[in-house]
Amino acid sequence: MTRLTPKVIYVLVLLAGCVVVVGDHLISRSLSGPGAPGDLGGACAPCGAPCTDAGG
Amino acid sequence: MTAAPLQTDTHPPAIDPPVIEWAPALMIGMVGLGLAGLVALDTGLRGVALFALGGALGAVFIGFQYGFASVWRRFLVAGEMMGVAAHFLLIGLCALLFIPAAGLGLAATGSLAPVSVSLVIGAFMFGIGMQLANGCGSGVLFSFGGGSGRMLVALPFFILGSLLGSFLLPTALDWGSLGQVAIADGAGEAVRLLVNIGLIAAAGTAFYMTGRRRGQALPRQLLAGSVVVAALCWLVFILSGNPWGITFGFTLWGAKIAAFIGVPVGEFTFWQWAGPQRALTHSVLADVSSLMDIGMVIGAGLLAAIGGGLRRQSWPPSRQLVAAALGGILMGIGARLAFGCNIGAFLAGIASGSLHGWIWFVMAMAGSWVGIRWRPSFGLSR
Repeated sequence: MTRLTPKVIYVLVLLAGCVVVVGDHLISRSLSGPGAPGDLGGACAPCGAPCTDAGG
Repeated sequence: MTAAPLQTDTHPPAIDPPVIEWAPALMIGMVGLGLAGLVALDTGLRGVALFALGGALGAVFIGFQYGFASVWRRFLVAGEMMGVAAHFLLIGLCALLFIPAAGLGLAATGSLAPVSVSLVIGAFMFGIGMQLANGCGSGVLFSFGGGSGRMLVALPFFILGSLLGSFLLPTALDWGSLGQVAIADGAGEAVRLLVNIGLIAAAGTAFYMTGRRRGQALPRQLLAGSVVVAALCWLVFILSGNPWGITFGFTLWGAKIAAFIGVPVGEFTFWQWAGPQRALTHSVLADVSSLMDIGMVIGAGLLAAIGGGLRRQSWPPSRQLVAAALGGILMGIGARLAFGCNIGAFLAGIASGSLHGWIWFVMAMAGSWVGIRWRPSFGLSR
């Protein structure tokens, strides 16, 4: 039996990740260009968080 | 000074020559090409270029062994200053583009974020986590890409922590915030650039000169790494319109997985904000951070396979794996509360002239100090 070395786990995780990424890509809506969350909705931070009042 | 242990073996120490690991190299290459094809179909050449830049960053980070966690640890434990000086060189080079480009409205914005209680707490948590996990945002990602057993554990917990952080952030923002604070804001773009470059240069010079007085030299590898990473950061900024960031990609991956297993992610406030909502409803290859993170894993993995690095990986002791998991969780939550990691907040924040980047630096350094003191409890050296 193959020992579960980091290399074996790594290869399995990479392949599983690839399948998940492709699956997600196929069932998700597409964008005309890559986007970042901070681009939309008057975001106050790169993650897209809105601005809050001072002290609040 | 402690003498190095004597070599008592009559044979010379075994040194593994670099051997290309063809099977994983081909597999990683094919995965990369396949994903690049999907990216091309969806987001076009700009997406492919950003994916390739992620790959280049992964290869450069693993090639130069460019890190933050170990450099900060050597600074705090042994007073080695040059690594932190190199980080400020990298930040200064990035600032030369980020501040004027954003100020002149050249279709690009810097990385500004609120100065808030959540920032202080989050950066402190991140600092502890990066010492326990032996890597920060970039370190976990490129080491994972290089097949590190430790990071095979740290990354899933980083993703989980990042998702939890996204649930916590809206509440944490109510704990108090001054809003965005741009240093020398309103003083004109030239003055703003000069003030910020002056601050970055002062910090870098202080570390450098103190190091010189202690007889330390700036390693060429670190110097070259800083310049190459800065050049790649420029390209990311020009192509994406935003500074390079890592951890939002982790948050998105966590949210996608959680949604898949039935967690009503979309009902949480964070995921109802316009940006995160768009990311959640579109492909993971359509978000810049996620796209580049995947590229970084591919790039680091390819270089590791070509250099024979994958077969040299082994599992650390179980206590260290517990530390990696705990560190991953802390970094994940911390990164969300603090609006980024060592790349998105420290590098990009300071290089964009945002006060939050400096506060992130101070608090993450303080957290690192605590994390270093916790390391022996997990069998890690200080």
